[in-house]
Amino acid sequence: MSIRIELRNIIVHRAGLPVLEIVHLIIKAGRIHALVGPNGAGKSTLLMLLTGLIAPEKGEILINDQPVKDLRDLIYRRRVGLVMQDPLLLNRSVYENIAVGLHFRRIPASEIAGQVENWGSRLGIMHLLARKASTLSGGEAQRVALARVFVLQPELLLLDEPFGELDRKTRLGFLHELKILLPMTSATTVFSTHDEREIEELADYKIELGNGKISASNNV
Amino acid sequence: MKHRLPIAVSALLLFSVLALSACVPAPTIPANPDLILATTTSTQDSGLLDVLIPAFETRTGFIVQVVAVGSGAALKMGEEGNADVLLVHSPTAEKKFMDNDFGTDRRLVMHNYFIIVGPLDDPAGIKTAETAAQAFQKISESGAKFVSRSDQSGTNIMELALWEKANITPTGQSWYVETGQGMGATLTVASELIGYTLTDRATYLANQANLQLDMLYQNDSDLLNAYHVIVVNHEKWPSTNLEGAIAFADFITSTEGQAIINTFGVEEYGQALFIPDAGKTDAELGLP
Amino acid sequence: MLFNNPDVWEITLLSIKVSGIATLISLLLGLPFGTLLALSKFPGRSLLLTLINTGMALPPVVVGLAVAMTLWRSGPLGGLHLIYTPSAIIIAQVVISAPVVTGLTVAAMQALDPRLLLQLQGLGASRSQTVFTIWREARLPLLAALMAGFGSVISEVGASMMVGGNIRHQTRVLTTAIVLETNKGEFNNAIALGILLLLITFLINFALTWIQQRGVKR
Repeated sequence: MSIRIELRNIIVHRAGLPVLEIVHLIIKAGRIHALVGPNGAGKSTLLMLLTGLIAPEKGEILINDQPVKDLRDLIYRRRVGLVMQDPLLLNRSVYENIAVGLHFRRIPASEIAGQVENWGSRLGIMHLLARKASTLSGGEAQRVALARVFVLQPELLLLDEPFGELDRKTRLGFLHELKILLPMTSATTVFSTHDEREIEELADYKIELGNGKISASNNV
Repeated sequence: MKHRLPIAVSALLLFSVLALSACVPAPTIPANPDLILATTTSTQDSGLLDVLIPAFETRTGFIVQVVAVGSGAALKMGEEGNADVLLVHSPTAEKKFMDNDFGTDRRLVMHNYFIIVGPLDDPAGIKTAETAAQAFQKISESGAKFVSRSDQSGTNIMELALWEKANITPTGQSWYVETGQGMGATLTVASELIGYTLTDRATYLANQANLQLDMLYQNDSDLLNAYHVIVVNHEKWPSTNLEGAIAFADFITSTEGQAIINTFGVEEYGQALFIPDAGKTDAELGLP
Repeated sequence: MLFNNPDVWEITLLSIKVSGIATLISLLLGLPFGTLLALSKFPGRSLLLTLINTGMALPPVVVGLAVAMTLWRSGPLGGLHLIYTPSAIIIAQVVISAPVVTGLTVAAMQALDPRLLLQLQGLGASRSQTVFTIWREARLPLLAALMAGFGSVISEVGASMMVGGNIRHQTRVLTTAIVLETNKGEFNNAIALGILLLLITFLINFALTWIQQRGVKR
């Protein structure tokens, strides 16, 4: 299940000043989009907007061609999954971290177990389930963060420089895995990155941001 | 040139100080100037010490630390050598103190009278009582509250003696409120709870403005409150300041000290709060 | 001896009851308010934070005096007849401990990664789910806040004395009883009560610390 999002004449303000201006952007259903641009270009702002955490000053948003007033409601947010640069795991076991989003949605425990096993094995972290999240390495923690979002089966998957903190070797490992895993989710995906290789290997489309505006949007 | 002016000013100041100090007769600073006086909260609350102590210190050069607790605690301090001199008002307990050789010199200083205060409308009707014990009886029968200090202070001992005279056991009764606090605080409680209490006149007058209580019974003959000064036994406790203790006892019974006592309170309350008694015997006052 | 005296158990129970209730009320007020203060921005926020931090150091006897003046018959709330009742002590102790709990809650919340809130919402947490999750996440410093709040009132005597009046069978608590015994010269009793107070405080903090440290990675 995936979502198509269209943004028209969007302006987002922070402290009274415009930080993001999008004349027209289409995020295609089921496709993987790479979001690139220098720091401060507005990548995180766009992702926050798409997560439903901030609202634009003005502009139109269409979901699956239906206009939507505000993305900031719980129902929309539960169609989305966010992975941030830092895994930001909770001080609990790995199992409980993976299950946290399912608990928010009040999914019964029996179903949770199935989903955790499903994605836990795909991400190769089944052996870590009982471990305390604070004892994991950087790479292990980011896997848990991915599992945590994949189990939610979101229609829109958002990743904000998900491998930025990791070393080159781990990054490459993840890249190959994601290439296999992302199609399995069949979600619409938007991920921000600096890495050319990631764009090449993973993305269907590339959205370039500069100074809060889109400078280019093309096929990859 | 830069340094000459400050030097000149300092020299002038120094000269002035020396000249002035030569004019004022300084008291000879005693070898051990620190003196601990244990007294009661009611004596402290009356404000008398705020006048007496500075006068004593100027006259003799001793520096007094006043510790105000209940009479019982003050006597205990004397028993354990934690005070040099006592100013208390609990004659029966004091007698026991002296009999046990905890003090070497006990002199009558002054007296005033306890009074029974209570609600402005006097629900127990004690104004017409003939004795203090009868007043207590009326209170116990009226259902009005009686507030007790319940702290072994001189006031408390007098109060308990009156209950005994009236053949009443107040502890445990619903109308008997035990605060375990000093006289000022107990008066406040009585005022707030609209009850009766036994108090010395001095503390009552000093707090009157903040209280909604009236003086309802003040027959002097059975409510005598006598104060003695006691020098703690130096032989038992060699670390006590015997010289200072004697100096204080001397001062408080001297003409100067007694004059201060005689006039204390007149300006503010229109009546002296204490009556000086130095030189009289206990018997003259009707004390045991 | 002292422990055969039935008054002692009555006094101890009252101490625990009064300070326990006050701490609980402070928690119910301070936890949500502190969280709000830490996480949202509004005009006057820093002034409010300064007031709370100042409030953490309020001298109990001053609080006692202020509350007493409010509850005396001559005061604005005199008609409630609360002076010299356990409720009056609870009120004063809430004034003392609420800033402590609130201030330490603010610190606990501000110690969390601010992006955590975004991440939780990005996982579909509702507002209340977000709050409960971060409370659970900050349980160590929050339990410390609770212990500090309790500590600030179980050991105070100034407010208890002023608004409670140390009345036997009614408002006498361990601290005011210790003052009384000291004033009477009964130092052994005073010390015994002091030891009892320390023991109670120790036991309660032992239980809270056990809860706090449960499952903490060694």
